[in-house]
Amino acid sequence: MIDAHAHPLMVRELVEGDPALARAVREVWGLLFPPQPLEVFLREMDEAGVDRAVLLPVDCTTAHGCCLPGNEAIARLAERSDRFIGFASVDPALPDAERRLERAVRGLGLRGLKLDPALQRFDPGDRERAFPLYRLCGELGVPVVVHAGMSWAPRGLASFARPFLLEEAVQSFPGVNFVLPHLGWPWTGEALMLALKYRNVFLDTSVIYARTPREALAKVVGEGIGVPALEGSIPGQLLFGSNYPRQDMRRAVRGLKSLGLSDALYRAATAGNAARLLGLGGGAR
Amino acid sequence: MSVLRRVTILTRKEIELVDITPEIVRTVESSGVEDGTVFVLSLHTTTGLAVNEGLPDLEADIADFLAGLVPEERPYRHARFLHSDGQMAINAPAHLRGSMLGFEAFFPVAGGKIVKGSRQTVYFVELDGPQERTFAIHVVGEPGGGGGRD
Repeated sequence: MIDAHAHPLMVRELVEGDPALARAVREVWGLLFPPQPLEVFLREMDEAGVDRAVLLPVDCTTAHGCCLPGNEAIARLAERSDRFIGFASVDPALPDAERRLERAVRGLGLRGLKLDPALQRFDPGDRERAFPLYRLCGELGVPVVVHAGMSWAPRGLASFARPFLLEEAVQSFPGVNFVLPHLGWPWTGEALMLALKYRNVFLDTSVIYARTPREALAKVVGEGIGVPALEGSIPGQLLFGSNYPRQDMRRAVRGLKSLGLSDALYRAATAGNAARLLGLGGGAR
Repeated sequence: MSVLRRVTILTRKEIELVDITPEIVRTVESSGVEDGTVFVLSLHTTTGLAVNEGLPDLEADIADFLAGLVPEERPYRHARFLHSDGQMAINAPAHLRGSMLGFEAFFPVAGGKIVKGSRQTVYFVELDGPQERTFAIHVVGEPGGGGGRD
């Protein structure tokens, strides 16, 4: 099983040696509980049945003066365990953003780009700032995860995270795979619209709405867009994501299991689709 | 005389009984307390302490029974975004299981040794793992070697 959406922001080895990162995790990202050893992260994956996790950073240099965390830190974590799949993040407002992305992918071996318009405070449909990065993702052959939907981060602005803001980009770069996390909630219909129309749009299930993941997914998927729509229309574009540590990985897995997906779609969402997206081959260890 | 020791462990499972008896015995015997009491306390709210017979089948039975007594899916009020943590509070079952177990155990200390039954094993009970956890062992009493006895 692959968790396509995790943030290594409560890894003690990362946070304790970096007071600026510790402050940013508290004040910008809004995680206020004590960090845990890296070994606990791996054990949580074991207990959840997750073989590999995609580690997503956010570069908020211009908006908040911090990286959560930096690309080098993500690369170091990915070197420590082959169970981690590290993504890069760059700040679209920086003039050398493209060079930074190219270095992160070609030099550090990171496997995709994460952008968070809500935290980075930019319009994901901005042709001058964002499109060059999407174009470069196509050249590098890596996917881009663009935060969509509510931002639980205290410094995030959801107005930049409407899924429909991405339509022109998705249309303009058909060779680039875009991942919209959190099912785009509360704009799940917009996220689904893009995935239904464009084959290069993936949705991850890391919705944080209310109640447990089981109840949230039952509401947003079961009563909202409906499992049949996923089964029939976008079985190759659904990814399991937990949004760890904002949400418990174990219970996120249970929530997905409780949705009543067909075996084929469950396997695709938890392994096959992510493996194909990331060029991993087998999908799980 | 008072000796306080904090012990930190990494648990592996969501529900797991960790035998901490050797740590307690060792702490008592090295404390210098001849006659008194040893208190053991978990420093968390989603864990417990239990005393039972140290058999793997009983450990599994206790874990399964706790899970069954407090089901994962009920309309718990504590299933919401917890702003003081910045994360979803979706672990009400772990809190309720912990409240049933209690967070403390104590034993007399006599002749510099813990007084407990031969079949009694002291467990630190993880209820929301895996996590890093800490428990305290507090030995209180009169020192050996005549000190404090007059």
